[in-house]
Amino acid sequence: MSAAVLLAIDVSNTQTVLGVYEGKTLRQHWRLQTHTGRTADEYGVLVGSLLAGAGNPAIGGIAVSSSVPPMTQVIDTLCRTYIGRTPLFVGPGIRTGMPILYDKPQEVSADRIVNAIAAYERTRAATIIVDFSTATIFDYVSEKGEYVGGVIAPGLGIASDALFERAAKLYRVELVKPKHVIGRNTVHAIQSGLIYGYVALVDGLVTRIQKENKVRARVIATGGFAPLLAPESETIEEVDEFLTLDGLRLIYERNAQD
Amino acid sequence: MLLAIDVGNTHTVFGLYDGDRLQHHWRLASDRARTVDEYGVLLRLLFAGVGQPAIDAIAVSSVVPPTTQVIDAWCRSYLAVAPLVVGPGVRTGMPILYDDPQQVGSDRVANAVAAYERTRDATIVVDCGTATKLEYITRKGEYIGGVIAPGLGIAGDALFERAARLYRVELVKPKQVLARNTAHAVQSGLIYGYVSLVDGLVARMQREIRGPARVIATGGYASLLAPESDTIEEVDEFLTLEGLRLIYARNSGQ
Repeated sequence: MSAAVLLAIDVSNTQTVLGVYEGKTLRQHWRLQTHTGRTADEYGVLVGSLLAGAGNPAIGGIAVSSSVPPMTQVIDTLCRTYIGRTPLFVGPGIRTGMPILYDKPQEVSADRIVNAIAAYERTRAATIIVDFSTATIFDYVSEKGEYVGGVIAPGLGIASDALFERAAKLYRVELVKPKHVIGRNTVHAIQSGLIYGYVALVDGLVTRIQKENKVRARVIATGGFAPLLAPESETIEEVDEFLTLDGLRLIYERNAQD
Repeated sequence: MLLAIDVGNTHTVFGLYDGDRLQHHWRLASDRARTVDEYGVLLRLLFAGVGQPAIDAIAVSSVVPPTTQVIDAWCRSYLAVAPLVVGPGVRTGMPILYDDPQQVGSDRVANAVAAYERTRDATIVVDCGTATKLEYITRKGEYIGGVIAPGLGIAGDALFERAARLYRVELVKPKQVLARNTAHAVQSGLIYGYVSLVDGLVARMQREIRGPARVIATGGYASLLAPESDTIEEVDEFLTLEGLRLIYARNSGQ
């Protein structure tokens, strides 16, 4: 890695993902816990030693998407102090190249715009993005590349945590696909509810969005649970674990052209 | 009169039956710290409001073990009636083909018994409560098993607690599935998302059993979701109480 690289940082409610791009190629990626109590110095030590492990690449720029407001300042300080670069935060005033048709465009969190841009860059067609993170977020981009709107449902992880915390007789199960939909014991019944239930939630919402907009949109999934659920889904065509990082790279390029 | 008590993780429902007719019903929060004497005061007042009914029989389903003890003690000390607590050893009239029949929650059995009594056909019960539970009963009236998914209410609570930028919304159906603001996006995800979860699970169950089944829904969120559902045919808010009444009758030889 001799040329200057781009560091893309995606801060979401549960985890923060960092990616190092050399041109369009993702060379390295790391995943850290998003912990709002952690300081810039603590993140500095973590990120510093991860970068050292990658041979201390020369970082020419940083692009950040944050859907956790308290983390924004911490990441900003981290970038300036430990990397010596001013990060580009995706948000109002940043050129994305995508018209946002939301009632209040600033209400759409940065990661959703970033995902939409990365997905449309790939498809150049009407596209639905399903992001399985803390929330399960659906975004729809029109054939012309406009961000039209979305749907927000509880994520699989937080919903299953709630089930085990709130239902006295139920207990945590391993998240694997059971052989049958109809469980003949409690472990299989819960595994079925979590996996087939969430696949049904996703397929149903995607189908309703397609019907409402009278389109046959492409469907791209990302986020931690995408590889688990996509094989059972009838609507997800493609999984890209690094969609958000790729969108950050595209937005950085569009803003660096000035 | 028979008092049927359904102790759920969020609510406890009390139903008073005169023969096979539900005369009155009440709903209390399932507060695990509530004492026998507190139940005594609350229910004495509720019963006084309907003319002090003569209760000579009680049937209980509980999915909250600590509360089972409290309800049992309350029945004995305040009503002087030993309750029938649905569990192992209680006759349901329904073969339970679960791997370990004792593992099936009593609410699930009560729902299955009440639903099959009504349909006498292959049936899927959807209980939209703290958990979303689906049960399958064969045409011959055997309980086979089911599915347990997180409930709409607890999943929604988790979303507002854990996602930094989201806030609690009123649980109403938005005009469109695809939303252009955050409040509508969350309403859409909860309502159309949960309708999809239920319809998708019912469809997969029907595919697995290779045949149609009647679909009856119950539980706090059933009436919200049923109008949007493609699979729910009927909603009965009091299915669990009805099942308790039937199980009581089967055990008392009536």
